Amino acid sequence: KRRRTDAVEIEDRLESLILRVGEKSNLEGLASVLEADINNYKGKILKILSDCAVKMPEKTTIYTTLVGLLNAKNYNFGGEFVDMMAKKLKEALKACMWKTARYVLRFFSDLVNCHICKLRSDMWQEKHIARPYVAFDSILCEALQHNIPPLTLPPHHADNTYPFPWVVFRLFDYTDCPEGPVLPGAHSIERYLIEEHLHNIVKEYHLERKQCAAFLLDFPLKHKIPLEYMIVEVVLAELFHLPGPRYIEICYGSLLIELCKLQPATMPQVLAQAVELLFDRIDTMNVCCFDRFVNWFGYHLSNFQFKWSWDDWLESSQLDPMHPRAKLSYRQRIAEVVPEQFDCFVPPKPEPVYKYANADASDLPGADTAHRLESVVRSKGTSVEVLQALGELPNPLRENDETDPPYNPVQIQVFVQAILHLGAKSFSHAFAGISKFLKVFESIVGNNEEAQILVLREMHEVWDHHQQMMVMLVDKFLRTQIVSCASVANWIFSKEMMPEFTKNYIWEIIHATIRKMNKHVGRLQKEVTDARERRTGNDSDDSSSEDEEQRPRPSEEEIERMEEKLEAAQADQKNLFLIIFQRFIMILSEHLVRCDTDGRDFNTHWYRWTIGRLHQIFMMHNTQVERYSQTLSTLLFTQDLDLHILDAFNQFVALRS
Amino acid sequence: SRTDQERLLRGTSTLYVGNLSFYTTEEQLYELFGRAGDVKRIVMGLDKFRKTPCGFCFVEYFSRDDSEMCMRYINGTRLDDRIVRTDWDAGFIEGRQYGRG
Repeated sequence: KRRRTDAVEIEDRLESLILRVGEKSNLEGLASVLEADINNYKGKILKILSDCAVKMPEKTTIYTTLVGLLNAKNYNFGGEFVDMMAKKLKEALKACMWKTARYVLRFFSDLVNCHICKLRSDMWQEKHIARPYVAFDSILCEALQHNIPPLTLPPHHADNTYPFPWVVFRLFDYTDCPEGPVLPGAHSIERYLIEEHLHNIVKEYHLERKQCAAFLLDFPLKHKIPLEYMIVEVVLAELFHLPGPRYIEICYGSLLIELCKLQPATMPQVLAQAVELLFDRIDTMNVCCFDRFVNWFGYHLSNFQFKWSWDDWLESSQLDPMHPRAKLSYRQRIAEVVPEQFDCFVPPKPEPVYKYANADASDLPGADTAHRLESVVRSKGTSVEVLQALGELPNPLRENDETDPPYNPVQIQVFVQAILHLGAKSFSHAFAGISKFLKVFESIVGNNEEAQILVLREMHEVWDHHQQMMVMLVDKFLRTQIVSCASVANWIFSKEMMPEFTKNYIWEIIHATIRKMNKHVGRLQKEVTDARERRTGNDSDDSSSEDEEQRPRPSEEEIERMEEKLEAAQADQKNLFLIIFQRFIMILSEHLVRCDTDGRDFNTHWYRWTIGRLHQIFMMHNTQVERYSQTLSTLLFTQDLDLHILDAFNQFVALRS
Repeated sequence: SRTDQERLLRGTSTLYVGNLSFYTTEEQLYELFGRAGDVKRIVMGLDKFRKTPCGFCFVEYFSRDDSEMCMRYINGTRLDDRIVRTDWDAGFIEGRQYGRG
């Protein structure tokens, strides 16, 4: 027994020695220690080294040197290590672990540098990476080399998942960084390797923004490269990654703030240079990235007193009114900060327009009822009393006395206008009003889609000047199920909303609506899976928390009911996507045909914006859209469609082909 | 009891937010805190007597994960030029919005 614990202790010590080895460590010393233990602990040493090779790619050259030194002392060990890495590569490829496979491959190429194995072309030639093996060249070149065992790629399997095509994001070239060390060329291996190392630091520390910023700025090669430029490029590359960023957007926003705070002398300037470059490219920027750029920039400025060299952007105030505009919240503050030439960008005061307020509104049908409603609500009236007041309104849809119209548009107009007018003071006031009178909404709106669209239209009429309010109210209407996702989509694409179509808040609403739908489906999906697992008794692993233990097993009928709910939700989701894509196809086709007959160029701001938004829907919700891709290709994106529109669909399909 | 309180804090999705400017609006709060996730509601802290904002609020998220994002990325950054402080809160109870006047 004693011997066993000794062995464990020695193994632990070896592991810790290998894991902690660094550039400045005594590699030769460690190699001697390991060599002495190879006979007894060979398996363990091989495993630790091969794990380090893929888990710590930033220390690749250290480990290859170490292996090289071991190989020089013990040729068989080197051979076994090469075999083990070859096996690792094969397994990684088979399991679709592409990143691991890439690291193994890179490790192999560096093993060549350390004279452990042979490849056809030898030696990377670059100058930035620490190369501890150079110092040991005399030892290493004496060693015998191994042949890498032949690698056969595993065959493709239908279940394999491949990474999405990936855009290498580059913003700067060496002329952008005039002072200090030279930026490695765009195609050089060192640029790629340094970037990857920086990405790995972001990955490792993304939960701790301050630490993350500190580690990035303390990059080991900081004196050999223009570090700030490379960091900004890497962080923005993650923020603009398609289809979506690796982490939540604000993670990058807060990281950039920390970087600026830690390095106030240089970081803000480099970031400003990046913003200028991006600003110049707004016209051709992918719409997903445009949104993220706008959102981040507003956030960033709000953390630095909105200080910016606004004068440099003056020419943008002369742009086409259809041109996409940056959104900056805090209207009042912005109006004070920016030069007056920007006044055209400052939105009107976010005040409500209550159509029954004016003296000349008394002619409007329902004006009297609206005023009565106001006093009912003000004197804390109930839903019943509100419905009573609304009950007296004649229905203009009624044609004869035999059929009841599905809803009364005047009732909806009066009620929505009055309730939003009374709750105009803040979001909380508006929400409280809506929640209090849910029964009224249920009764006068119900499931009728036209009635629901009318609610949205009245809301828009009241709050036309307050975009954030509209975004929040649509959210509230959806959550309280006053309107359905499909109604929101149909409203957005309706004729009255066309002038709003290029404004950002419209797209905020659409994406939030789709996201809500997706979350709903996801939640039901999870419920079904969980219930299934509990039914078959797979919950025996007691990792689940204590408050979950007493849940009874669901019956087969309960599960069936859950599945029915899920199917209904999926049908809604599919319907939502069909509506949105069909509407896109309609307005885009109409535009293309009209331009063709008029002999005009179709490639207008409106067109680029709209097709960009179509691409964005595919991109942002690609996992969900994917499920309906077959239906979409047979029903909507058919071969007779204009190629410009079809192309958006084809690009989406290409993500996974 | 203390363990109950700790258990509540581990599971809560509500945050207490302090050091706000008295002039910061609900609009600004939703705009900023919405960046960390889906906000269920925001309750403004009010002066007991004047019923005006008095520098704090409660932000409740729909999920614990979102509130963790807020603790990670918004705590210690600026809103209206002030460094906001966020802290776990066991959950908003009516009446707690009234600060000392």
